[in-house]
Amino acid sequence: MPTVLPSSTAGTALDQSAIAELCHVTKTYAVAGGRELKVLDQIDLAIHEGELLALLGQSGSGKSTLLRCLTGLTVPTSGRVLTYGKLLEGINPYASIVFQTFALYPWLTVEQNVAVGLMSKSLIRADKEAAVEKAIDLIGLNNYHDAYPREISGGMRQRVGIARALVAEPKILCLDEAFSALDVLTAENLRNEVVTLWKEQATTLKSIFMVTHNIEEAVEMATRICVLFPHPGRLGLVMENNLAYPRNPNHPEFQRLVNVIHETITMQALPDHPPEPVSVAGKPVSRARTRMESIPTVPVGRILGLLSILHDNPDLDNIYDIANEIGKDYGETISLVKATEILEFVETPKDEVRFTELGKKFINADSDTRKVIFAEQVKKLRLFHIILGYLEVQEEVDAETVLKDISTALPYENADNVLHTMIAWGRYAGLMDYDANTKMLTRPEAEEEKEEEKKEESAK
Amino acid sequence: MKSTATQLGVPEIERTFSWVDVVVLLGVFGLLWTILHFGRGMVIHFDENQSPAISTDIRTIPYYAGRTVLRMWIAFVFSLLFTFAVGYAAAKNRVARAVILPALDILQSVPVLGFLSITVTGFMALFPGSLLGVECASIFAIFTGQVWNMTFGFYHSLVTIPKDLQEAAINFRLSRWQRFGTLEVPSSMHSLIWNSMMSFGGGWFFVAQSEAITVLNKNIKLPGLGSYMATAVEKGDNTAAIWAIVAMLAVIIASDQLIWRPLLAWADKFKMELTESGDAPQSWLYTFLRRAYLFDWVEEKISRPLSDAFIRLKKRFGSLEVITARPTKAAGRWISRLLLGVIILWLIYQMILGAVAAIDSVYNHVTWQQFFRLCFLGSLTMGRVAVMTILATLIWTPVGVWIAAKPSVARFAQPFAQIAASFPVNMTFPFVVGFFVATHISINWGSILLIAMGTQWYILFNVIAGAMAIPNDLKEAATTYGLHGWSRWRTLILPAIFPFWVTGACTAAGGAWNASIVAELATWGNTTLTADGLGAYIAEVTQKGDTPMIICSIAVMCIFVVITNKLLWRRLYDYAEKRFHLD
Repeated sequence: MPTVLPSSTAGTALDQSAIAELCHVTKTYAVAGGRELKVLDQIDLAIHEGELLALLGQSGSGKSTLLRCLTGLTVPTSGRVLTYGKLLEGINPYASIVFQTFALYPWLTVEQNVAVGLMSKSLIRADKEAAVEKAIDLIGLNNYHDAYPREISGGMRQRVGIARALVAEPKILCLDEAFSALDVLTAENLRNEVVTLWKEQATTLKSIFMVTHNIEEAVEMATRICVLFPHPGRLGLVMENNLAYPRNPNHPEFQRLVNVIHETITMQALPDHPPEPVSVAGKPVSRARTRMESIPTVPVGRILGLLSILHDNPDLDNIYDIANEIGKDYGETISLVKATEILEFVETPKDEVRFTELGKKFINADSDTRKVIFAEQVKKLRLFHIILGYLEVQEEVDAETVLKDISTALPYENADNVLHTMIAWGRYAGLMDYDANTKMLTRPEAEEEKEEEKKEESAK
Repeated sequence: MKSTATQLGVPEIERTFSWVDVVVLLGVFGLLWTILHFGRGMVIHFDENQSPAISTDIRTIPYYAGRTVLRMWIAFVFSLLFTFAVGYAAAKNRVARAVILPALDILQSVPVLGFLSITVTGFMALFPGSLLGVECASIFAIFTGQVWNMTFGFYHSLVTIPKDLQEAAINFRLSRWQRFGTLEVPSSMHSLIWNSMMSFGGGWFFVAQSEAITVLNKNIKLPGLGSYMATAVEKGDNTAAIWAIVAMLAVIIASDQLIWRPLLAWADKFKMELTESGDAPQSWLYTFLRRAYLFDWVEEKISRPLSDAFIRLKKRFGSLEVITARPTKAAGRWISRLLLGVIILWLIYQMILGAVAAIDSVYNHVTWQQFFRLCFLGSLTMGRVAVMTILATLIWTPVGVWIAAKPSVARFAQPFAQIAASFPVNMTFPFVVGFFVATHISINWGSILLIAMGTQWYILFNVIAGAMAIPNDLKEAATTYGLHGWSRWRTLILPAIFPFWVTGACTAAGGAWNASIVAELATWGNTTLTADGLGAYIAEVTQKGDTPMIICSIAVMCIFVVITNKLLWRRLYDYAEKRFHLD
């Protein structure tokens, strides 16, 4: 799957022209309860001089972890990180990061914040000031020298972040979702400026490595695009993008690339299954019943919202259009559609989204009937059998016990998040209840039981 | 890439020296002279059988006040150094954290005053024939009174620094020192100053108490406001005593206005949030100092050339450094680790020795009967602490909520409550005891009032802070749904102020144990009133110098404090955090 470009220096295994290279990098984190979560699995990726590499992935796919391995902020559990063919020790001296949250120090002025990028260098003050001034000038921050970050807009703050990164004279600029906290217009403007900076080669900057979940952003900027598949993070699609700058989003080739990426992500998240076996006794056989499948961590309210939007807009049948309609990014929309599909309310041939009969019945039902249908569907999911199985034989079960079972069944998922989603779904379905103080999952208190208890109490 | 946004730049104004700088310069030199003047008095000859006489002449008050203030500041500087060193170690090193956090937890429950007799004899042995020994004991008492809280606060801010800010510092390869100065201290500055202010306020109590103590049947008096007060009361000189109280108030208000308010105003820029805060703290002195050109001048003409020269020097020898850097670094690390290990082992060894000696002396001298009596006395004192906390809560909660509802009153009342909490009420005990004697109130009950006088304020100003922090929309919602009277209290006010009340009540109760040592055994002229309680017992054995009993009684008090902390306050904290946390 991962395609490493042919090495320019023949004969050596190591890629000398790669500014940074990951070799079989795996990263595992210890999570609560002594469990382990594998975030990156056997990643091979090289960033060469002159390229602008975009790493695409849904949230939680490990793309930020990958960036941190590359910059030396995180040490991989196994595998190696190389810079220009040499093993990286400590912090990558060629890389500067631009953060999603800007990561500016609120107590320093713009000028002082930019100077932080120079702190590790022994320079006399005059040289330092000249370098800072140059970076400030380059990035269009003139007249903001003495402003504090809290006094300037988000776009200007990110400019400070970029100036601080550039002043350290990096070979590679690492953008960690650098535009996602900005409004659309500001982000567009800044994207163009970053591409110009890299293309003009006016600085020491050779390459850019950007991490993003925005497909258009990647296609607009990058010369090479990698898609990271989640749970655990592994490289899926790797493709070149040779469109000329400035790129026009309406260009057919641009559209084609976006579609290819869409399809790749959709097929990974919502694979088309072979026709299901003929249903027995009028009951559909759930594919979730045959194997343990995770559930996307999506709140119940979103599922109901999606169904009602689909119901109100019969023309809306493509995941991409849905993403635009609900104003969520593609990855989030995929999770949402997947959750709805698992519950068999919709089906997804290719990237289409269609109501099933059950889905139609569900959306037209009153709230009590909806709960009954929802409960029936949840009961079909094998994952829920973990909890429901416990609650069949005992009144309540410790959340920690359930967490252990979940992480055994789904080793690459964040068990905490999965459990919280299960609790939310189970509560809505009226199948279980959860006490956050005792951390116990309990059977729901049925109306009759409550009454019986009252009778017992009064009898006493 | 020209920016089209509004221009924030201000044309540079050529700044020069003005009369402001003259005033600032005079202030700086005045401060240096004062430190030298009062510091000289600390190292004079001292004979423990002939304690220097304390004059009750009103004209000597400024000198005594100066000595007391100097003591406070020396203790504070040491507290600050300790805070940085220990708080940093706890935040950065897993092994250190495992040792430091529980140790701090115990140490902050230890009633400092009980140890005075032991530390005084220890420090006097360290500096024989000099007043410095007694000075050190007093400074040490203040230090132990204020340092734990500050260290905890610093540790807490260090571990809550946002991850991206840390990653930025690491990515740009800031050295440890640079990270400390650019990120770690600034991001904890705000809480550090608040905690310092609170701890410093608490320190006045200890300085007043430790200046005039009776150890091993000897009266030791250090020149200072506390001992001036004690002498005045002994002599029955009421005018002098009242002047001492006025001087104390003046000193506390001056510290607040000249040090803490300017610091708070300055530290406003260190707040973490990226939005502009509505009302920034103001200080007339800070506004004044900002007009001075002197600081810019020092930066421009002295600090800058110095740092440039240093860098040039470093560069000249830079090539040498690079070659030897790696091996010495690794070797240096091992040497420093080894050294640290040796120091820690030695400390542990000393602690074990001390503990064995203490247990030995206690075991041989204290009978089980005496021990059970101590536990009984402990429960009496605990009863007093509990009654004080409950009464203070019942009285001050409604008052605090009322004050918070009126912003004009709150603005005035909050600093007032802070000053009231800072004032060492133990200075006024003799008068209250005189009142008890005159009205035949039993000290067994009266001591509750004495304890409350110093500690109730913590409950008050935490309740005020809590009530002021209730979000407006919650208040409006409560009004919209017609919540009045008790239902409003039950659904809105009590849950909202509960976490703040826990903080206040816990601090008050902790202070109350310390205060009991002073409050349960109180003197008015020749009359000495002794209550039944552990505090009075500790005070008595301290005066007699009965070391085994001192150790044993303090140990019992520590156990009481630690147990109530674990069983009550810790649980209330957790409960408040889980149930009533407003986010």
